[in-house]
Amino acid sequence: MNVGVAHSEVNPNTRVMNSRGIWLAYVISVGVLHVVLLSIPFFSIPVVWTLTNVIHNLVMYVLLHTVKGTPFETPDQGKDRLLTHWEQIDYGTQCTSSRKFLSVSPVVLYLLTSFYTKYDPAHFVVNTASLLSVLLPKLPQFHGVRVFGINKY
Amino acid sequence: MANPSAVCNGHLHHHHQKQNNLLKSGIYKKNGITKGMKKNGISNGSLYKKTFIEHFEQAPMYVAVLTFLGFGVGTIFGYLRDFMRAWGLEKRNIAAEREQQKDFVPLYQDFENFYTRNLYMRIRDNWNRPICSVPGPQFDLMERVTDDYNWTFRFTGRTIKNVINMGSYNYLGFAETDVNALKTVTIELQKYGTGICSTRQEMGTLDKHVELEKLVAKFLGVEDAMVFGMGFATNSMNIPALVGKGCLILSDELNHTSLVLGARLSGATIRIFKHNNMQSLEKLLRDAIIYGQPRSRRAWRKIIILVEGIYSMEGSIVRLPEIVSLKKKYKAYLYLDEAHSIGAVGATGRGVVEYFGMSPDDVDVLMGTFTKSFGAAGGYIAGKKDLVDFLRTHSHSAVYATSMCPPVAEQIIRAMKCLMGLDGTTQGLQRVRQLGKNTRYFRRRLHEMGFIIYGNDDSPVVPLLLYMPGKIGAFARRMLEKNIGVVVVGFPATPITESRARFCVSAAHTREMLDTVLNALDELGDFLHLKYSRYSKSSHPELYEETRLELED
Repeated sequence: MNVGVAHSEVNPNTRVMNSRGIWLAYVISVGVLHVVLLSIPFFSIPVVWTLTNVIHNLVMYVLLHTVKGTPFETPDQGKDRLLTHWEQIDYGTQCTSSRKFLSVSPVVLYLLTSFYTKYDPAHFVVNTASLLSVLLPKLPQFHGVRVFGINKY
Repeated sequence: MANPSAVCNGHLHHHHQKQNNLLKSGIYKKNGITKGMKKNGISNGSLYKKTFIEHFEQAPMYVAVLTFLGFGVGTIFGYLRDFMRAWGLEKRNIAAEREQQKDFVPLYQDFENFYTRNLYMRIRDNWNRPICSVPGPQFDLMERVTDDYNWTFRFTGRTIKNVINMGSYNYLGFAETDVNALKTVTIELQKYGTGICSTRQEMGTLDKHVELEKLVAKFLGVEDAMVFGMGFATNSMNIPALVGKGCLILSDELNHTSLVLGARLSGATIRIFKHNNMQSLEKLLRDAIIYGQPRSRRAWRKIIILVEGIYSMEGSIVRLPEIVSLKKKYKAYLYLDEAHSIGAVGATGRGVVEYFGMSPDDVDVLMGTFTKSFGAAGGYIAGKKDLVDFLRTHSHSAVYATSMCPPVAEQIIRAMKCLMGLDGTTQGLQRVRQLGKNTRYFRRRLHEMGFIIYGNDDSPVVPLLLYMPGKIGAFARRMLEKNIGVVVVGFPATPITESRARFCVSAAHTREMLDTVLNALDELGDFLHLKYSRYSKSSHPELYEETRLELED
């Protein structure tokens, strides 16, 4: 049981994305990443933006769609052990506000990146592939789907 | 905290409270710091005989952002350390499987241990500290040090004496070792022995239990009571006896684990309403009565509302008058768990029922524990004689669990007699008054200093918000250096942004002890930048009515 716990929430991970201040913290950390990349002298602006986009999508993919379960023990005997964090948000309810925010933010970043890379074809390919890799798992149809059995257990 | 009316929720001059016209019954009132001009017998009648002020102030946004960044940094370092441990660059301190079992399927998923390994272990020295005296207002700690960053501890052999105890639930100060006070307990121990080894229904009902139950019933002003050996088990074993399949349980969001477990074991449908939020409760009640059971649309066999008197993590007091009027209107039952409030609130220590000036007949099932205010162990359920007789036959605890042991029963009897004045002194009443004074003083000073404190002004549980994970460890350690023992709690026991330190004021704390603690908090608050409150009491005196200030002495 959640002995020693102050609430009756079975899996606190489901509420983390709804907490006050996390969206702002997320935007600020993307901003910090971008500024850090900008300060490296030998990257041009388009490269910096593509790198921001790619690194952001990579980290998002790893944290939201690869890592499964909870970093603490839950009282439901591990019902969510095989679910990624994205699938755990709000106990699997689709199209809640956090899910919408996290789906829209890579798209916004993609649009900014496309603008700043002047729609260069090479950058376009890289950025679009990266965007698709992070948008597809967020579709409601992909809830619980493990392609080719990768990351199943 | 979703509690619109009585909440000082960060908006100093908002003249209208958003939701109040929703309830047609008009029982909702505008309470709170912004509405300072409170007199008795206000607009819609006197549901509340005195002002009900609760605070759940939100910290500024930058605090929440920094908290998440703190957790983020902790997570990054956690992954780094895990990587180093996996590749042998760092020694592994945690228990591991034997070499021969390396190819077996692992017993535990190591990600579930991530938080414990990487975040909890760093500040582990602030919990489970061994003490070597009774946990009264001061206690002695065994000094322990760690050579490998909290993976193992070793005792130096010294004891740290007279650490001020701000963590024990010792509201009335009955956790004492005074030989004279415990004389009757020693006599009973010699007479009856330590254990009973039988259940209530077989051979375990002694005259001590009957005496105790009569005394509890008299104390609370009800017809009958039944006592159980364990406070947690009182909830978890009796709720299944009272409700079953086809019944509806409406339980508060922040109810204790024992209530949640009892509700789950009963097989009834559980619906959760927002903490202390009466519109949420009324909406659930109306939906339950209008729509009935989920698929068959039949009426519910029983609707029971589970609430606590004082919530131990928030320090908030239940809105009993409103709940009672709701329950009467919609014909539901009320189960009140007074674990923290019995003995601690109310003019003579009879709990929230007395605090609000209501009659104990309004509450159907009065439950409480003897662990907090009476310095003993166990719990009770009190109410009408029919209810208690039913529980005597149908409770799981009565059939399968051993009954309360006699020395503990005697301790409760002596504490209760002291509280009721039956031992011929006014010591009990003095303790209750001292607790009230200490509570109000402590809370007022903390507000003035500028900390964010949750909860009702009259509740002896004082959560002080720390927010950031780094400050949890720093706060507890520095308080120990100043010889004060505190309890700190963080995620996942609290919401991720709301880690806190929880103080439990006791009647046994003297003014000097409280002043020591307050001065230490003042210094520490400046050093750790914990004074987030944007509405310190002293800077806005016009918002506080004169009558409140008269209570301080």
